[in-house]
Formats: sequence, C-alpha cells, structure tokens
Amino acid sequence: MESLVISKENFPEIINTIIKSYRLFAPTEENGFSGFNIIKDYSEMDLSYLNSRMPPKAILFNQTETLFLMKPGAKGSIKPKEIRNEKTAIFAIRPCDAKGFRILDPVFLGNYVDPLYKANRDNSVLIGLSCNQPDSSCFCTSFGDSPASGKYVDILFTDIEEKYLVEVMTEKGKGFVNDFSRFFSPASPNQIEAKNAKEEEAIKLIKRNLKVEGIEEKMDKMFDHPIWEEYAKKCIGCGTCTYLCPTCHCFDMQDESTLDKGARVRTWDACMFPEYTMHASGHNPRPARMHRVRNRFYHKYSYYPKNSGVIACTGCGRCIRYCPVNIDIIELMNRVSEMEL
Amino acid sequence: MVDQKMLVEVAKETLAREDVKYIIGYKKGSYGFQTSAAFAYTPKDVEEFIFTPLCNKNLAKYPLKEEKLPLKRGEEEDKRKIGLVVKGCDSRAIVQIIQENGMKREDVVLIGIPCPGVINQKEIEKRFPNQSEITDINEINDEYVFTVEGKEHKIPKQELLAEVCKTCEYPNPVLYDVMIGEEVEVNPKAEYEGIKDLEEAPLENRWEYWEEQFQRCIRCYACREACPLCYCSTCMADLLEPQWIRRSVNLSENTAWNIMRAFHLAGRCISCGACENACPMDIPLMELNKKLGKEVKEMFEYTPGLDIDAKPLLGSFNPDDPEEFIK
Repeated sequence: MESLVISKENFPEIINTIIKSYRLFAPTEENGFSGFNIIKDYSEMDLSYLNSRMPPKAILFNQTETLFLMKPGAKGSIKPKEIRNEKTAIFAIRPCDAKGFRILDPVFLGNYVDPLYKANRDNSVLIGLSCNQPDSSCFCTSFGDSPASGKYVDILFTDIEEKYLVEVMTEKGKGFVNDFSRFFSPASPNQIEAKNAKEEEAIKLIKRNLKVEGIEEKMDKMFDHPIWEEYAKKCIGCGTCTYLCPTCHCFDMQDESTLDKGARVRTWDACMFPEYTMHASGHNPRPARMHRVRNRFYHKYSYYPKNSGVIACTGCGRCIRYCPVNIDIIELMNRVSEMEL
Repeated sequence: MVDQKMLVEVAKETLAREDVKYIIGYKKGSYGFQTSAAFAYTPKDVEEFIFTPLCNKNLAKYPLKEEKLPLKRGEEEDKRKIGLVVKGCDSRAIVQIIQENGMKREDVVLIGIPCPGVINQKEIEKRFPNQSEITDINEINDEYVFTVEGKEHKIPKQELLAEVCKTCEYPNPVLYDVMIGEEVEVNPKAEYEGIKDLEEAPLENRWEYWEEQFQRCIRCYACREACPLCYCSTCMADLLEPQWIRRSVNLSENTAWNIMRAFHLAGRCISCGACENACPMDIPLMELNKKLGKEVKEMFEYTPGLDIDAKPLLGSFNPDDPEEFIK
C-alpha cells in the first residue's frame, strides 16, 4: 500500500482531468439529499454529504436493466444487449457502500457470472472517501470495519484538512494513480498520522453497536421464535429497506413489449412484497409478513454468511434511517444476540 | 399536551374489555426522535404507551394490515375488536374505510386524542442528524422543548410542525369511543395554501416539476403501504395480467404509478401525510393529493372521512347532476 497526498488546490483540477477519460460518478446534491450522478465538472460535486440516499450499488447493478431486445412474431428476432465497456470511476464512495460490492460479488461473479455486472465491476475504479462524520444510524464498526477503511476500495481519500491523504489499495488503484501521478506527492509520516487521528475521531462518533458475535448460531435456533412476528406486526411491507440497502440484490425478470417490439428487463425486487415469492400456481411459500420480515434478517445474518462467509450487512444505516415505521436492525439483532434460549 | 397517565389508564380499561383483543398505540422508538407503533396485549404492554408531538405515524393502517392466516383444525377465528389510538386524521381514515365497507364500526374501539399537531420527522432529523439517544419532546407555549447532548432546545412550533398539520381542519377525532382530554382549537388557516404556488405556475412548469419529482421515484411503494386508504387486497400496480404498470423503473412508468395512485385517492385522501413521510425519495406527494382533494371539495362539496353513514364520493350518484354527459 502506498500513501500519497493531494492538495486541496489541485483537487478540482484532478477531478476535471479524470472526467476527460472516465465516466465519473460522484455525490451531488439534488432536492435536498445526496445521490451519485455522472458529473461533467468539479463544481457539480458536493462532498458535504453524509452518504447518498440511494446506495451506489445502483451504478453497477442498475435498478432497471435491459437484458435483450426482441421483435415478436414469425419473423421475430432477439438482439442481445450490447455490453459497453465504459471506463468508470466512482468517486467518494463510502467504505460501507464499497463493502456492499464485496458482498454482491459472490452473487454475480460466483458460479454463474453475470456479464453485465462483471463488465461494470471490471471497468470501475472505486475511489473511497473516508467518513469523518458518521451519524446516529451508522454502525460499520460492528463488523470490524471502519469509516476510514480502505479494504474494499481501490483508492481511499481521507480529508486531513489542508490536504487529502490518498491510500492506494489495489493494483487497479495503482494504475489509476499512475495515470494522474503529477497531482500526487508522497505522504509524510505526519500526514499518515493525521489520517489515523481522523479515523479514531470518526470511530468515536459511532455510538451504536450491533452485537454480531455468535449471532448466526443463535439464529439457527430461533426460526420459530415469536420475535419475528413482533416486528412483522409493525412492518408495513414496503421496499424501502431493500431498495436502499447496499447489499440487497434480488431481482425480477419481465418481458415488456408492445405489438411490434419488446425487451426482457431485469428490475430490483424486494422480499417484503407478497408477489416476490408467489408461485405461478398461486401458492406462496412466504404467505405472511412474518415470513417475509424473518427472511430478510435471516438472509443477511444467517443464510448469506453460511453461503458466502460474510454477513450481508455493512452497517450503512439506511434501512434504519428511512424505515417509515422504525424497524431498527440494530435493536432487533441485539435482542436476538442477548436472547436466552 | 395529552395526559399520558389518562391515556394509559383508558387503554388499560379498554384492554380489559372482553371484546378487545389488543390495542395499537404509540411507544418510544429505538433511537433519536423516532416513535413506534406498539401492539399491547397485556396491561404491562399498555404502560409503554405515549403520546408526544413525535407520534406522527398513522396507526389506522394497522387494523387492515392484520393478517388472517389459515385456521388450524379446531381453531376458531378471533373476532374480537382491535383497540386503536387515533388522532384527528387517523379517525378520519377509519371513518372513510368504514364508509367504503373496508371494515365495520364494531371492528374497532377508538381511543381518541385531540391532536395539537405533530412534528415533521424529516425536518427534525435533518436538524439534529447525530441524535442517537431516545429523545422526549414537550410542547410548551407554542414551542417544542427538548434536550440534545445536554443542551436544551426551544424551537417555535411552526418551524417543526408537519405541513399537513399546519392546515389541518380536523385535529379532533371525528369518531371515537373514548376521548382523552379536551378538544383542541381548530387552526383557521386555509387548507389549500400549500399548493397555491403550484396551481398558479404555467402548465409546462408544472409538468416539468412533476417530471423531476417522479424521475427519482424508486417504486418501493412505501407511499402505498403507509397510506391507510391504500388497502386493496391486490393493488393494480402488482397485477401481472393485465400489467397496467410495468416493473421498469423509469419516468414513464413512475409517472403512471404516481398519477394512478393520486387518482385512486381523490375524494378518499384524509390528508394525514403518511405517504409523504414514508417516501424515502422525498417526493411531495401531498401536493398531488391536496390538489385532487381541492377539486373534489369544490366540484362535489364533499369532504372524505367525516361521516360513517355518508356515501363515498365515487360510489354516489346524483340524478340532478348538472353535467350534461351523465344524462
């Protein structure tokens, strides 16, 4: 790992230089909240954000994706979706959201490789920005991560007041930095120390903790526990938690056509919707909200770690912040953790 | 301020009734400024009940959300009533649902709370984003008083009051079995002030405005699920045969969804603002609902959710209708 610095005066210039050769996604503020958008100039970027409302997973795994185009009828045809290899950089992604991709990878790059996700992933450089001001719903530290972790990004920027400390984490990151080497200079030990101090400060701001130890084993014994019903009563069954989650990845496939043309599209789906598990026969293996609510927590804290070795939650806090009925994953999982069985 | 002791007492008495299975009220939330729905089955559960300016969710959603699972052999359906704590708007939702035959009056026992207005959740969380400690808020002399990190804040009520409350005409429950405390004064402010600017804007600008709003809809259906009047057993947005609205999330389908929902609420929306509060993308859905509500009021002299014996607007017909096409 290499540590560099870039001065804040040079910062607009490097961003505008990157834009010339990359499709650059960065946080912008619209309608009073932050979102990742392609920017054409440094001035569009807004780094005063805590985190984007929608997770950047939407950049690599689009909410609506056309898989192929078709023409129906005897002379019908199918035209596969062209895979565009666009050089992309995602700037100022938070460490928690970058970890989201680590969790999506086994799904889309595992036994069956999804060519669209793969192309997006391969062509993207993840440039993280450390979180100096986590909020009341952040809990990445519960998973041994940190708001200034470079573990899941190619390059990590940290605001150390007059400069940014730039940590190069991967080969991909190294290649990227080399292309723009004139903007960077080596970091001094003091500057590295300044980052560590920022990181410590940020960690202190995280007040809530989800007790993950032993939770998987605990859940093995709790499938029929009344706690799921208790939370399901409160749940209204919307898709906010799943759609705003950086790790939820379930999708639906639909043929959408008019008389003379159509497309097969893949859209995000949410396990909170009754239609999600509905069989063609009309049978639904998860008929009640209790089954669906339970499934979401089991998927994140039990099934996924069993299958892919990692809890499918990064502690970004969006599901807590935006749940319309205050279903709080920290509160719930801590109750599970502390449950005497 | 609502007398919390009295609320708990009344709720306990209600729960003790043989014909009541449980009561839905509010309790403290899990962090910061949140409150949560509470489902009380025992007197001990009832002791958690609160009513504060943060009780801004519409609990009228829950009786119809109750799931009736297939009965096991020998099991009998529990037909007892559900107790429900209602503010003015929540009670109007219940009235409207009863009017539409969505439930029967005898299905619910209503504990009415004269509502002095509730806080805009998004606004207070924006102002104090780091508040993880569970915070009590009191309303004292038109100010909200609370403590954040050891510092007492006094914020004028109007700054934090939810938009719908600023123009609420029915803060007192219109239907109840027991009322907690005295009725509150009705706000004299005109109900449709909030949409005046939008109404006066030229057509193209309005269309542009709504395109911008619908563009960011993610179709999570939080608006529908939070709305007490969205209780169709199958929403037309979920139908596959025919598929009225495609699953693709784009401006066209999002517009179809949002306009469809607004139309389905015309003459039914009781202005609680639950949809807008729930929307994770901050789409000003109440502007749409208010506009249609205004049309309904002006054209048909109809206000939803006031009288359980009235006919729902779209289920009524007037032989003397002045419109030519209807004859």
